[in-house]
Amino acid sequence: MVWIWDIIFLNKPAFHKVTAGFFNTFIIALLVVLFTLAIGWMITLLMHSLQSKTNRAPYFIVTFFLNLIRSIPQIVGVLFAYVGITLLVQGSVITSKLLIIITMALCISAFIFLELVDLMRDRIDHFTRLDFYSAMRVCGIPESRVVNFDILWKNSRLHILNKLIAVLGYAVFLQCSVDFIISVGLSTDVNETTLPTTLGSLLAALDSKQDILAIGYTLTHPDYAGHLFLEHLQGITVAFLIVFSLVSIYHIANGYAERHRL
Amino acid sequence: MNTAHYSVCIASNGRTIVAVDDFSFVRDEITFLFGESGIGKSMLCKAVYGLLDPDDLQVSVNGMPYRTFLNAPETRAARLSSFFVFQEPSSHLHPLMRITEQLREGSIAGPESEERILSRFWKTADSARLKSILDVYPKPYRPSGGEKQRVLLAMAFKKIALLATSKSNITNFFVFDEPTGSLDNSYRNLFLEFLFEEYRKRQFTAMIITHDYSIISRVYERHKNIIDKIHYKELTRLEEGRVTMHDFSPDDYLSWLERTASHKAAGTPAEEVVRIAPEFRIFGRGHRIFSDPERTKEAELVIRKGEMVYVKAPSGVGKTTLAKIVMGLYAPEKFSMTLCENGVTEATPRKFYEQEMWGRRAGMVFQHADEALDLEASVAETFEGLPLGYKLTREKLHGALAELFEGGVTDAFLAKKVKFLSGGQKQRLNLLRTIILHPDLIVLDEPLNGLDFDSVRKIIAMLEEKRKAGSALLMISHNEEIFDALVDEEHCYYLA
Repeated sequence: MVWIWDIIFLNKPAFHKVTAGFFNTFIIALLVVLFTLAIGWMITLLMHSLQSKTNRAPYFIVTFFLNLIRSIPQIVGVLFAYVGITLLVQGSVITSKLLIIITMALCISAFIFLELVDLMRDRIDHFTRLDFYSAMRVCGIPESRVVNFDILWKNSRLHILNKLIAVLGYAVFLQCSVDFIISVGLSTDVNETTLPTTLGSLLAALDSKQDILAIGYTLTHPDYAGHLFLEHLQGITVAFLIVFSLVSIYHIANGYAERHRL
Repeated sequence: MNTAHYSVCIASNGRTIVAVDDFSFVRDEITFLFGESGIGKSMLCKAVYGLLDPDDLQVSVNGMPYRTFLNAPETRAARLSSFFVFQEPSSHLHPLMRITEQLREGSIAGPESEERILSRFWKTADSARLKSILDVYPKPYRPSGGEKQRVLLAMAFKKIALLATSKSNITNFFVFDEPTGSLDNSYRNLFLEFLFEEYRKRQFTAMIITHDYSIISRVYERHKNIIDKIHYKELTRLEEGRVTMHDFSPDDYLSWLERTASHKAAGTPAEEVVRIAPEFRIFGRGHRIFSDPERTKEAELVIRKGEMVYVKAPSGVGKTTLAKIVMGLYAPEKFSMTLCENGVTEATPRKFYEQEMWGRRAGMVFQHADEALDLEASVAETFEGLPLGYKLTREKLHGALAELFEGGVTDAFLAKKVKFLSGGQKQRLNLLRTIILHPDLIVLDEPLNGLDFDSVRKIIAMLEEKRKAGSALLMISHNEEIFDALVDEEHCYYLA
């Protein structure tokens, strides 16, 4: 409905920007989910394997580095990662838009994947404490099969999927927040000309800011409300898409958890 | 005979959990109800007793909606003079009330007969000792599971005693759900003696849900005089959710036991598979192995090819712990054994078991199939990943399962999730997963848990076959009667 309304009432350049911002944001968020799953699964297996070794040093070293990442607030981490991406773009190391999007997704994943690692390790710990794990191992079933197939795939995939839905939400939120901060003016070099347009950067654009301010104006001048949906569509649409997406993801995650009694 | 008949259907979200056309028992007589675990014995008894939640489940009894059945005057009257002893004692006891208070709660408030019952169940007349045991809040670890079970039985017996004093002929229904599950044989026998003693004083209706078939022998040995007042029933699965209740013939069990005992395996000199030193230490506690029930002769536990060795000990002494040490799952502080010609001590690394033993030369069947199996996997997937040394084709799997699943199995059964199998089917699958590996040593921890008699027979036959084929079997089970019939005294060991 928003899309149809925008086709009719939003000017073409703004409509293209909003469409690009929406798709870029969600492509990055979906890539974040994929990368988080891949990195999370690999790190979980690495930690599980190191944990059972008699030499505990590698386990402690990896744990230390993971805790180091954990200690950095996600938003700060992603912010600095974006500065790194800008440097790479400026140095023409990354030139294609697709590569920039992949790099952005990787950077966000680097600060989110621990959420999934914690969940997967919890699940493995839970099952290894039960006879479940020992019963399978004494039958000669390889550890890799017990962990990957029986514990993570067969008995935890609903939990993992639920976490990945939440990760999608984190990714959208982090992107919008960081893009907004950057676009508002942390750097003159990092802007929508160097990074792909996203909902966050679009929200920070001058036009959108005026549109958002119009909402405040409407609060004191209610008769202006009609103008909001016709003359301030870019900002209103972007704000709506961000809020509506986050609320929807939140409800989907909650509903999924309730349905499967997670 | 005044027989009560019920047709019961219990469903949840449109799926039938259990349905039976004729759930019957004779009033003022005692019925023992057998059947594999998960078949619905407890649920049917709860439905008839009036304990199910009509908001939670869709229940109908004799075609009546459950609410109507619950509010029927006869149901309400019966409940006033009845008692239900739950299977899990901890769930029955209120954690914020002292046990002594709970023993005098509601309809069993009066102190009459309490002392007599408690001193009977605790085999002591010392009231100070009883007070120290019972004047406590129930916690997961104290009193012990067996003591909690005895508390519940004491409550039921208080109610039975009240019944004896009443003059009117009230309808009553005493349900004992696995009343001896946490009790050793001496307390189990005590419970039976006491039950029959009270029954002789004043007849009442009792339904005793159990898997312990050795109760039959006990009744035939000691209580022949009331044998006509005792009935044995069994629930058998017909199809998804539907069960049938039929008479169980005690003679079938007793004659099978006799036949089993007559084929008792004689010790033949063969290659040693395991030799365990008599003393071991784990979790800061020392354990010893003896060859006599009085526990005076320390002995090495030796199992040769083609032998079944039976380890006996009361609950909590460490039978499962020993099994897990033998399989390399626990790291003992002091331990020594020879396993398949390999010296093993407390210093032997886990890698040795992983690479040499597990699934290859030794395997273990765990006690609880629900925990030991991947409930989310399908039946076929349960056998994937086993180090069989050959490709387990569908035909081979069909053949292997046919040994324990009557009438063979279908492809639909192979694709079925383990969680949808009955308790007995799960236990058979649990056993078969290890048996199929043909290891030199098979450690079996309560392999008859939750099985119906037919499955017990099949499993015992299969174990005997494995033994004759040369496997060494280390058996841990509380089904003493069955394994005493199967294993001669020379192959019994006692843990302390």
